[in-house]
Amino acid sequence: MDKRPEGGHDMRIGPMRAAAVALCALALSLGVAACGGGGDDNGGGASTTGAAADQPGKGKPTVVMGSKNFTEQFILGELYKQALEARGFTVELKSNIGASEVVDRALTSGKIDMYPEYTGVILSELAHQTSRPRDADAAYAAAKRFEESRGFTLLDKTPFFDTDALATKPDFAARNGLEQVGDLGKLSSVKLGAPPEFRTRFQGIVGLRKEYGLDNIDFTPLAIGLQYKALDSGRVDVANVFTTDGQLQGGRYTVLADPKNVFGFQNVAPVVSRKVLAEQGPAFAETLNAVSAKLTTEAMRRMNAAVDLDKQDPKAVASRFLSANGLK
Amino acid sequence: MTGALAQSAPVIPDFGGGSDSCVRRNETFCWDWFSSHWGSTFQPALLQHIALTAIAVGVGLAIALAAALVAYRRVWLERPFTLLSALLYTIPSLALFQLLVPITGLTRLTAEIALVSYTLLILFRNIVTGLREVPDEVREAARGMGLTPLQMLWRVELPIAVPAIVAGLRIATVTVISLATVAAIVGVNEGLGVPILNAIPTTFNTEFIAAAVLTIGLALVADGLLLAAQRILTPWARRA
Repeated sequence: MDKRPEGGHDMRIGPMRAAAVALCALALSLGVAACGGGGDDNGGGASTTGAAADQPGKGKPTVVMGSKNFTEQFILGELYKQALEARGFTVELKSNIGASEVVDRALTSGKIDMYPEYTGVILSELAHQTSRPRDADAAYAAAKRFEESRGFTLLDKTPFFDTDALATKPDFAARNGLEQVGDLGKLSSVKLGAPPEFRTRFQGIVGLRKEYGLDNIDFTPLAIGLQYKALDSGRVDVANVFTTDGQLQGGRYTVLADPKNVFGFQNVAPVVSRKVLAEQGPAFAETLNAVSAKLTTEAMRRMNAAVDLDKQDPKAVASRFLSANGLK
Repeated sequence: MTGALAQSAPVIPDFGGGSDSCVRRNETFCWDWFSSHWGSTFQPALLQHIALTAIAVGVGLAIALAAALVAYRRVWLERPFTLLSALLYTIPSLALFQLLVPITGLTRLTAEIALVSYTLLILFRNIVTGLREVPDEVREAARGMGLTPLQMLWRVELPIAVPAIVAGLRIATVTVISLATVAAIVGVNEGLGVPILNAIPTTFNTEFIAAAVLTIGLALVADGLLLAAQRILTPWARRA
């Protein structure tokens, strides 16, 4: 009896759902910051070529390395991992774990044994220190003291540092005689573009006003990633950038010096569990320090450019750098 | 203390690219970049996407077919089955993926549970409708030939329902192929959603277009294959 000649096979729902999904995906992606994703794991044992018979890491237990959620960290993770593997160590890389607070939790709970971190971030975000270090060595020493108080330590820091900075077009700098941040005071008004939080941070407008007496700033909020476009189009005169941004390579922009160190010190050093360090032997720290020593600002910018701008694989970029420097 | 810093400057190799490359200028589509990333990025993502889809549709079909056969015999069960699958269907996919993550983690299982639940309504409704559309005369004739209920189902009713079932499969498959890209947003690192997700914040056209075109292409090919399968399964329909 119950016969229902329905006929249609629900044809209408499919495409509508698909459209809704596409919209959701777009909307959500705008809010999702942690979407780098480039970190594939397990590179296979492909790196046992170089360094001949020098394999001090053979037979040592596996080290679990983490990295934070942006390009520079993906590259650093691959650099340290591949250099260690070239000397026989066994490394598992968990790339793209999250922001500092998340990675730090993974470290203190024992899920990872080490990760590369910025000295200034250790002081401000993890140790919650408010006093400002005098120079890069003081920042490093204070960060190391903090990590050692909890059973970790810092290996050598890199020559490069990745801090906030102010950049401008070279012709604008030349026209107005700009070399350092304080020179901006010579202008009657400066159009400055930066993420919204820059307005209220000490490492932002607050510090610029206090340390350099800049009260001529016309602030334009910009989403991260749009600074260089805003400079190119002339929407802003000066923009907030990071010192190792790939875009800064090749002299297309001028970075203004920060002699009063408003933007702090952010050299990178591997944070390592002291237990793991003892377990792995002296060659472990030596290998990592040899990599760090080669990481100048120019080197880091070029590698960031290769990944961010030329869309190359962090793994491949790290491998070429290590090979060129005899570290692999 | 940092004597290492005084060492020789690093050798910076040529990483290729350069300021005037297709990728730097973010042209509409950079073939060189695509072909050099086919093996490392797109081929694995495409295969994962096919696997995600095949498992979801396969499991969905098994569940829906079982439920439809029961509902076909016990008519009063059709309503609750329809309501349940409709309820699953209306849960927003993003919410469902997010709700499952704490339970099943960032795994393929999470993606599959969500994807299967979206196939059920379409498949169940189509299978039941297809079975009910078998003409009474045909059923009478089969009974007259002395077929048991099981034989009747297998040799008469299901074959006649094949066009309706395949119509459902086609919609379910295309839906799952497009939905599976959402899995990447919640952190299930599989399928063509991963390159799409990577490309959105960087506005890198090539990666975005390549992944989108592959997804659309996969949907078209899957749809075509199902249609071809239906033609083969129902040779009598071609003569009509």
